[in-house]
Amino acid sequence: MMWDTLQPWVKVLGGSAFAQWLGQSTDRIAWLFVFHLVGLTLLLGGTLVVSLRLLGVGLRSQPLRQLARDMAPWRTAGLLLMLVTGALIFTGGAVSYFEGQWFRRKMQLLLVALIFNSTLFRSVTKADEGRVSPWLARVTGGLALLLWFGVGVAGRAIAFF
Amino acid sequence: MWMPVSELLQALERTRVGELVRESAFPYVEGTHVLGLALSVGTVVWFDLRLLGAALRTRPVSEVFENLKGWMFAGFGLMFLTGVLLFTSHATKAYANPYFRTKIALLLLAGVNSGVFHLTIDRRRAEWNDAPTPPLAARAAGLTSLLLWFSIIAVGRLVAYSM
Repeated sequence: MMWDTLQPWVKVLGGSAFAQWLGQSTDRIAWLFVFHLVGLTLLLGGTLVVSLRLLGVGLRSQPLRQLARDMAPWRTAGLLLMLVTGALIFTGGAVSYFEGQWFRRKMQLLLVALIFNSTLFRSVTKADEGRVSPWLARVTGGLALLLWFGVGVAGRAIAFF
Repeated sequence: MWMPVSELLQALERTRVGELVRESAFPYVEGTHVLGLALSVGTVVWFDLRLLGAALRTRPVSEVFENLKGWMFAGFGLMFLTGVLLFTSHATKAYANPYFRTKIALLLLAGVNSGVFHLTIDRRRAEWNDAPTPPLAARAAGLTSLLLWFSIIAVGRLVAYSM
């Protein structure tokens, strides 16, 4: 499996001086989580608004393409903030995170969500409104909510289960 | 009849709800509170960014608000409900926690900021409803709101780390 291939690298990362420095301070990790959640607010908030528009249950007076384009930089900023802080949080406890089943589920879902985001979601939100069938828009909105909130739920589960 | 605060807090913790959250439902209630950020702060930021002239600039301010308000209020309702449940489960410790107290103070400030906005510059919204960049007072309210909400997220996370 891919996880086994990654294992030696995770050990090296987790054993690095930087990882030790990160992991030894609860304050540092707590602040990384603060910025992880600020990123979550931008990314999930933006995804929610665009998805509701796709589902046809909110913001109907705003043209979809313009709404998605207006929000794109903020969603991207949120995503980048989450990826950077997430990578640092992982580094601070690499070996134990890596063994967790919820961490692995989160990474698998994240990968699917990123692929979805740069393919179907991107093309549907960039297309002229008349050219996207309402059901395709609804499926895209529903999938976006399921995938991104799924990543969030798996992330919370890492802390508890 | 008045009860000392410490007894009131203990009574809250001893309720069925307090016990249930503390002993089994905590991960779900806390998880909902964290992901509820998307629905609450995650929607209010778009209104704030519109007031700042930093997003959705071509749409009238009223339209942005009308479109978001249902979700925004539902989001804050969810946050309030889950927040009260979390408080009930660890009332004594939360009450004594400096980050928790800061969070409540910042929430009140966010309310004051929104109230001041609605009673002042928002009364003349008709004059700037379509302006891509709203007047200074409206931008100031938007920026203050953004800063307060991000600070509330920060102290909220620090409550979890210091309990």
